[in-house]
Amino acid sequence: MTRPDAAGKLRGAVTFGTDLERPGMLWGALVPSPAAAGRLRAVDLGPARRTPGVVAAIGAEELRQLLPSALGRERPLFPVEEVAYRGQPVAAVAASTRAAARAAARAARVTIEERRPVADVEDRYPEWPGPGAASDPGVIAHVRAGHGNVASAFARATLVHSETYRTSGVCQVALEPHACVAEVSDGVWRVTSSTQTPFGVRDDTAEILGLPAETIVVDGTWVGGGFGGKGAAFLEPYALALARASGRPVELALSYREEFRLGRSTLAAVIRLDTAVIDRTIVGRRVRLLLDTGSSLPGRDFATGYSIGFLVGPYRCGAVEVEGFGVRTNKPPFGPHRAPFAPQCVFALESHLDGLARRLGVDPLEFRLAHVWREGDETFLGQKVGPFGGERALRAAAERARAWRPSVAEGHGLGAALGFWSTGTGAGGEVRLRLDGRALRLEQVEREIGSGSVIAGLTAVAARATGLPARLVRLVASDTATAPVDSGVFGSRTVAALGRAIVQANEKLLATLARRAGGGPVRLEEGADGIDVVGPAGRRPVAELLTPEERDGGGLVAEGRHYGNAPPIDPSRVEDGTFYPYTDFTASVDLAEVEVDPETGSVRVVRAAAFQDVGAVISEPLVRAQVEGGFVMGLGEALTEETLWSPDATLLNPSLLDYRIPTLLDVPPLEITLLEGAPGAGPFGAKGVGEPPILAVPAAVANAVADATGRRVRDLPLTPERVSRALIRP
Amino acid sequence: MPLTLERPDGVDAAIAALLSAPDAVPIAGGTDLLLDLEAGRVRSEHLVSLAGLPWARVERTGEGWSIGSTAPLRRVERSEGLAADHPGFVEAVRSVGSAALRHRATLGGNLGRASPASDLLPILLALDADVTLVGPAGPRRAKLDELLRGSRDLALGRGELIEGVALPPRAPSAYAWQRVRPANDISQVGVAIARPPGADRWAVALGGVLPRPCRVPAAEEALTAPTPSEEEVRRAARIASTAARFASDRRATAEYRRRLVDVLLRRALARASGGARP
Ligand SMILES: Cc1cc2nc3c(=O)[nH]c(=O)nc-3n(C[C@H](O)[C@H](O)[C@H](O)COP(=O)(O)OP(=O)(O)OC[C@H]3O[C@@H](n4cnc5c(N)ncnc54)[C@H](O)[C@@H]3O)c2cc1C
Repeated sequence: MTRPDAAGKLRGAVTFGTDLERPGMLWGALVPSPAAAGRLRAVDLGPARRTPGVVAAIGAEELRQLLPSALGRERPLFPVEEVAYRGQPVAAVAASTRAAARAAARAARVTIEERRPVADVEDRYPEWPGPGAASDPGVIAHVRAGHGNVASAFARATLVHSETYRTSGVCQVALEPHACVAEVSDGVWRVTSSTQTPFGVRDDTAEILGLPAETIVVDGTWVGGGFGGKGAAFLEPYALALARASGRPVELALSYREEFRLGRSTLAAVIRLDTAVIDRTIVGRRVRLLLDTGSSLPGRDFATGYSIGFLVGPYRCGAVEVEGFGVRTNKPPFGPHRAPFAPQCVFALESHLDGLARRLGVDPLEFRLAHVWREGDETFLGQKVGPFGGERALRAAAERARAWRPSVAEGHGLGAALGFWSTGTGAGGEVRLRLDGRALRLEQVEREIGSGSVIAGLTAVAARATGLPARLVRLVASDTATAPVDSGVFGSRTVAALGRAIVQANEKLLATLARRAGGGPVRLEEGADGIDVVGPAGRRPVAELLTPEERDGGGLVAEGRHYGNAPPIDPSRVEDGTFYPYTDFTASVDLAEVEVDPETGSVRVVRAAAFQDVGAVISEPLVRAQVEGGFVMGLGEALTEETLWSPDATLLNPSLLDYRIPTLLDVPPLEITLLEGAPGAGPFGAKGVGEPPILAVPAAVANAVADATGRRVRDLPLTPERVSRALIRP
Repeated sequence: MPLTLERPDGVDAAIAALLSAPDAVPIAGGTDLLLDLEAGRVRSEHLVSLAGLPWARVERTGEGWSIGSTAPLRRVERSEGLAADHPGFVEAVRSVGSAALRHRATLGGNLGRASPASDLLPILLALDADVTLVGPAGPRRAKLDELLRGSRDLALGRGELIEGVALPPRAPSAYAWQRVRPANDISQVGVAIARPPGADRWAVALGGVLPRPCRVPAAEEALTAPTPSEEEVRRAARIASTAARFASDRRATAEYRRRLVDVLLRRALARASGGARP
């Protein structure tokens, strides 16, 4: 398949965020807090203003004059009293060049009465939080739920398997840093941004600046990778405030170091798992989670309540009790990263189950097969499990493992793991189809972020729904003032949710055409001269069925919308906090063979296989690319990627040299198997595949290391030093 | 900050350019320097490119091998006959960064940066390499060990440039390293060993130690036999892993580094001497 965006990207012709230009444009820069915690005493912008080329410099004080509506917000643009993390923007400047803006930002003098920061969840809670901790000021989210008699399950158990796992922070590492350009004129606050969520940015920006959402217009541009890092407002409100202060368009873009330091990424966690077994059957599970949520605000955490379900997993496990704390630390706010915090949970649970199976003397895959969800089972929150490919994916992996086993060399090991996911169609969206005699226009707000889900995926759905060749489908993306509303390109939802909206819009379009053609059902076909409507009354060009207004204007219009409906969770099982229901049930299994250096602890993945439950394939090359990409990202989380923080909450490795994503040399041959047949929430029964392929990779690699060495590494990532420590552990 | 780049086409012109501004610095491949400039670790507005100098050679001479300072590492590692004569040196060169990086990165730049984690300094120390230099006072020759003052600190005079490195005709040698990620990462520890012609013992040098890569004479004393015994190797490894100063930093703990020295020295010796591998 040739991707429609390939040629432009290869030629360097597409416009990413940092390529945006406007006549008279200034460059912005952010003034970072020099401390991770403390009371903000003074922000002296005098030296910044005196830097040559500077046009505007604003802090909380200036904002009071400029934009009083931005004051007293829950999420202030600039901190007024306390700084929450090192690098937090305390002011912003705009200057004629990027270098001048940066020099001015450096020149600003920020005085902070420093306090010892909380750098780690275990700083705050060296012991498990006691009763009443849910209302600690350091806790921004608390979730607790369960069902069945856990105490009795553990009392009756013939074996209890208890472990603690620790996971590290990971960054999205999109090639393109965050960037946007803002313009303010005639009461319209307009920002063009490299974003995964134009409407989300609009609403967030409105909230932060205290402006009505309709006065803010967000337009997207080509996004050089998002992976969750480019949802929600980030630079946009600063750029708009600077544009307002300077009266000129302002471009604001992060350097790559800032990308690491200020970006919203996944942070560290401590996970405790206890599983009660009678003979070979799981009868109870206790889950304890301490998740570092950085300086996220209360109510702005979804990770704790969403991810904790992945620690119960897609298994029948009897009585269940889960409790999780989102813990506030002096780091940037927690942010989503491809399947937010789920690969870390899957790592803990699947390592735990693997070890438990070995203790029981059962084959780990057989042990999973004995417990894995079947359709009609219940989640621990009482949701009915829909079509789920877990069993098939596990069986396929078990068969492959049997085929590989005889050729697994001395010092090597094989490991597998199962992850599960739910397509994010609970976040809804709308599209508009516009049919004239020659083409079908598909109008919506999202821009291509690299996966192909917008530029190729939505087009493929429209082509398949209408029956027209893809070249007659014109994808049109416009801004939030003109396009139908949508939640964004995230959560594996784009093709699924907008695809369902496209299918619905197409049905409306055909219904109108059927009426006008004198009866249905009708379908669209490419004719001798444009698009024809074919039905019981024969074949007629579309143009003949349009009203004069439609012919002269924009064609026949139909809108479609999809707001996914998840089967409800049982509220009686929830004690505290917010949990999220699943809209469908997607399985992803990885099998990996590793070679472990017994002396240095180095791990090399020598071959791997991915078994992906996809519901239905809409575009095979796009799906395979997601599985490959997810695998490689998962490999980084498994072996090398982690943010390292000093005790004073400074990020120690804000560079691509020391934050190590995999290189091509680290990527083994990968066999990909796509499993259809267990339909999901998307059009034609498709399931979202953006996130699931990453889920089980760290766990599969860790299980392979355990297989090779007989030792379990309970800290992610499995760096050589950690593995070597496990190997010499008495 | 405006940057000027001069590209002199002769050695005298290059030295003159370096003397013409107090902040002038030479730039070879720029793989280190550009990052140092961006991060503010080096401040300069006057870069003097060495690309026009006739120092990109890699050749056999009457004395041994002569490797020019501006030869890209990729060319060095592909030089006919070098790997057979100096297997450890070529192992070290091939370990640097990635193939793409080595197309730009040079030997002179690696020496000029004098990083404690350099992969080339240990093997050059073990080979007891001579560095040839040229400056306002003319050419001179010095032992690398004497030039290397400390972390990122090479004893060069003002306006002085590294011309190249002289290696013996051949020497059994090996270089073993450890990184979190094999490519484009900094070695946590590097262990080089070599037995130059006429030497009465194996030379052992370590990288990833503070303040600079260094020889470990105490370990060398245990390694006089051309093929050391298991016991000798074990003793040398034990001495080497306690002799030097190891850092605990974001890349590794000192404890792990010590453990690695032990492992890597045994491996390097096994490769170079064909001997025992306890
Ligand atoms: C991604 C990445 C991975 C890397 N991996 C490794 C690795 O694995 N192992 C390793 O050892 N290094 C590594 N490096 C460091 C570096 O690339 C090498 O050390 C390289 O050899 C430097 O050469 P250069 O020509 O690019 O030097 P430059 O950047 O041009 O110069 C470096 C310094 O030396 C000075 N200099 C250059 N030439 C001369 C000369 N002839 N005389 C006097 N001074 C001179 C310059 O003024 C400057 O101070 C890596 C760097 C990067 C960016």
